[in-house]
Amino acid sequence: MAEGFDIEHLAKLARLQLTPEEKVLYAQQLNSVLGHFRALAEADLPAQVDDALVVSEAALRADNPGPTLGAEAVTRVAPASRDGQISVPRVVDDEA
Amino acid sequence: MSQSTASSDWEIVIGLEVHVQLHTRAKVFASCGWGFGQEPNEQVDAVVLGLPGTLPVVNREAVERSILFGLVVGAEIPERCAWDRKNYFYPDNPKNYQLTQKDFPVVVGGKVEIELPGASRNVMGEHKWIRLHHAHLEEDVGKLSHAGGGSLVDYNRAGVPLLEIVTEPDLRSAAEAEAFLRSLVAMLTQAGVADCDMEKGQLRCDCNVSVRPRGATKLGTRTETKNLNSISGVRDTVIYESARQIRELQAGRTIVQETRGWNAEQGRGYVLRDKEDAHDYRYFPDPDIPTLLISRDTVQRLQQQVPENLYDRQRRYMEKLALPYTAASVLVAQRRLAEWFEEAVAAYPANPQGIANLIANDLLRDLAAGSAESSGEGVSTTPAKTVDDCPLKPAQLAALVKLTDEGLISKQQAKEVFAEMFKTGQDPMVIVDQKGLKQNSDTGELEKIVREVVADPAVAKSIAEYRAGNEKAINALKGPIMKRTQGKANPGLIDQLLRKILG
Amino acid sequence: MSNALHQLSAVELSQRLQAGTLTSRALVDALIARHEAVNPKVGAFTALDIADVRAQADASDERRRQGKSRGPLEGIPVAIKDNIAVKGQPLTCSSKMLAKLVSPYDAHVTEQLRSAGAILYGRLNMDEFAMGSSTENSALQKTFNPWDLSRIPGGSSGGSAAALAAGLVPLALGSDTGGSIRQPASHCGVVGLKPTYGLVSRFGLVAFASSLDQIGPMARSVEDCELLLQVLATPDARDMTCFDASHRQPLPVAAPAALRIGVPRGFLGKGVAPEVVQALESVLDFYRRQGCAIVEVDLPSADLAVPTYYVVATAEASSNLGRYDGVRYGHRSTQASNPIEMMTNSRSEGFGPEVKRRILLGTFVLSAGYADAYYVRALRARAKIRAEYLGALAKVDVLLTPTVPTPAFKVGEKASDPLQLYLEDIFTIPANLAGLPALSVPCGRSGQLPIGFHLVGAPQSEAKLLAAGKLFEAAHGFAHQQAAL
Repeated sequence: MAEGFDIEHLAKLARLQLTPEEKVLYAQQLNSVLGHFRALAEADLPAQVDDALVVSEAALRADNPGPTLGAEAVTRVAPASRDGQISVPRVVDDEA
Repeated sequence: MSQSTASSDWEIVIGLEVHVQLHTRAKVFASCGWGFGQEPNEQVDAVVLGLPGTLPVVNREAVERSILFGLVVGAEIPERCAWDRKNYFYPDNPKNYQLTQKDFPVVVGGKVEIELPGASRNVMGEHKWIRLHHAHLEEDVGKLSHAGGGSLVDYNRAGVPLLEIVTEPDLRSAAEAEAFLRSLVAMLTQAGVADCDMEKGQLRCDCNVSVRPRGATKLGTRTETKNLNSISGVRDTVIYESARQIRELQAGRTIVQETRGWNAEQGRGYVLRDKEDAHDYRYFPDPDIPTLLISRDTVQRLQQQVPENLYDRQRRYMEKLALPYTAASVLVAQRRLAEWFEEAVAAYPANPQGIANLIANDLLRDLAAGSAESSGEGVSTTPAKTVDDCPLKPAQLAALVKLTDEGLISKQQAKEVFAEMFKTGQDPMVIVDQKGLKQNSDTGELEKIVREVVADPAVAKSIAEYRAGNEKAINALKGPIMKRTQGKANPGLIDQLLRKILG
Repeated sequence: MSNALHQLSAVELSQRLQAGTLTSRALVDALIARHEAVNPKVGAFTALDIADVRAQADASDERRRQGKSRGPLEGIPVAIKDNIAVKGQPLTCSSKMLAKLVSPYDAHVTEQLRSAGAILYGRLNMDEFAMGSSTENSALQKTFNPWDLSRIPGGSSGGSAAALAAGLVPLALGSDTGGSIRQPASHCGVVGLKPTYGLVSRFGLVAFASSLDQIGPMARSVEDCELLLQVLATPDARDMTCFDASHRQPLPVAAPAALRIGVPRGFLGKGVAPEVVQALESVLDFYRRQGCAIVEVDLPSADLAVPTYYVVATAEASSNLGRYDGVRYGHRSTQASNPIEMMTNSRSEGFGPEVKRRILLGTFVLSAGYADAYYVRALRARAKIRAEYLGALAKVDVLLTPTVPTPAFKVGEKASDPLQLYLEDIFTIPANLAGLPALSVPCGRSGQLPIGFHLVGAPQSEAKLLAAGKLFEAAHGFAHQQAAL
């Protein structure tokens, strides 16, 4: 098992619910993949990180308000809505 | 709630993270507009909603306002800045990541001068510097509300540009925290960086509080109280939380590092539900936004827009113009007011105090009254009319003060003229002529009247009292004299003449 | 020889449309007829709005009658991979998560095609969210290799490649993150180009791995591919990673007469099938005969490419796919009493296994305590790989390898071992990591199964790649080949 690979913890972080079979299968498959990553762990690498992409202020956008979708279009695409707002199940109270 | 006095054995350490909505028209990474009071989800486009295939583009104005803030606080504006993704799931977070700046923010360092309350209203309090760690540009999230058995999401606020200003833990009391926020708001509004209207949620604060035994160098465990949207909320949180922590430590318990909320109605703090794994945000550089190079030309151009710091200005007024603290502090609170004042002084430099008094007392009162009227309520809920709204020009106010100084009209008359000027915007001289208000300073004529009044048996008693040593008795003669002159007699001259005649 | 309309090249179609000997409507009707006969066997298209494409064709013919033709692509159908937004059309990414989504906006490339007068022709099957090398990961339907219907067409742009190889459309758009245009092109005997990163706007491309994704043209010849590329490769201020006008080199640039071709040392030994080795050697012989110098080059970090790619790509994907939670659009689970449950269930119901695996892996390599060991190291490895490729390309014009180590495998053959599939990408991945343009051109067969060769060039050297490709295809019979279906 790759060190630190806790599939239950990762599933929770990623908001995924796995069946017990999936947990076993995916953990096994991903550990095999991670095993292949050993070359990355052992390689002699330069300190510099890839940052080929740099832009000047010319790439920034002017502060002119552009078109909106409109509440009608937003609620039409949404699975559930009410009075122009998107509805979701009740958010559990913040207070512990 | 009772003010808890921290025992002198303890030191309170406070750091603030202030989220300020920047004054732009469009959102920070999306091009649609934003603003208060719109119908839900009307200020949303495909990028804000996070529709598949959409990409962020950074708003130049948001970057420039951030840089401007950095220059206002004397911070370093780095050569390059970059944006990172903060990944977490929440219904108000359209992409389930927030674009923010973790490693390369647009503003590094900086400091803010604060002024603490003095011994009394008229006395200037101590000044102190609060260091900033940095400020970074990020996007706001949508608004969740709860209705019946469900919750509703409005994304109008999602994508609004936020400048998050992070202090070093330099604050030591609720008063300092309050002073810091007041100073920060003044600097932000005076530079045009942000409007900071807290009623509209344009400024929110997270407050980190810890305590330690006085003299200790190591910081105590801190708690973070999130989403305070008023200065009083911050002040009360500091008082409450520091007292709570001191009580805990005195009872032998330890402080848990936790995230808290503040219930303003009940005046208490509470622990927020620990959002599971909320702390693993898996930050990484956003691959859709390249690193931005900030040119020194832009920095220089924006440097020209940095206004005089309000406390520098206040010192200048007190030292160079000999204004008392009360007047100076009122004038510097709003930049346009200070500039208006300076224009008036430029027109008539001989009596800055006279000009200051007229502005601080009469002008501001009339402006506030004007806006209360227009709002139709006793207490103004709309911002007071600004000095640029009134029909009066600085040179006109200066002229009024000059007229008064030259003795053409009395101070009393000046108030009457001012009221008319405020209504009509006419020159003071025009109003004086219209109303025939010229003060009577004709010594000969006045002396004749004074002698007549003095000869009146009705005032004999007062004269006797005065001659017997009662200074105030002389005032009883002034009324009849003023009446005889239709109130136009120059009061100073009347006083002089009376004393001369009575001996 | 009189070819049926579906067998003509885009260049030839364009000429006939311009000459007036063909109408767009007639062309579209012919393709629809073939679609109805052939698509059920091949499964390339997931949607084709017949009324809409006929209306577009009619509009195009009307424009032409009025002398308002918009250019060489006027009236030519271009099929579009289902992860590229076309307003009013599905944008499913072949996923249950977006099965019902109709795009409310156009991608930049879609706008460009409209401005060029092209017919936006249907939606093409793909691996779900572009994650896969076989199109077996589509949640909607299967696509089969037209040359052997028991085999995979490659992926993730399997629908695009199959549609071309089956003569269902003359031009198609694909997307490429680790080889998803080039590998299926190779498996289906067609041409596919992944442009330089930044050449084509990603606005409207559903993101898989933002720093690796590119949209690219696919066709049955290099010449046709070039026609399509010219329309796609324009500036777009809505994508900050897309080159603005001042950073673009003009296309085409006059290519040098005799290219220097670099062959990475040891590449043909990496589990490459013998028939593929043989085909590559014929390719090299051809170029040698044309006067090209063939030079061995060293790319010592080649072994790092696959792990580096899978760390970076899954990390970005885990974040890019975070938005799919059933709140604002897409599939929403009906079982949930609170939002966390709702999001979790929606995602679990909406995503297939490969997507889940990659999200889990990506979450891991970014997670607290492991990001330094995996993600940060991968960025450093990427810099090293890019530097080596740029160094090599400073000495040669193009690098040449096979596109894929082995020809198309049978459906289901590699389904249980993701790692095997990941290793398929060994030749194509470096170009994505280094942001370089790369082209796959058909060059041979293994029995019935096509084999392709792969050219990589320096940034914005598409002209050299296309020139080299055209040189090869002009002398060989692999252009415009279609499976008999």
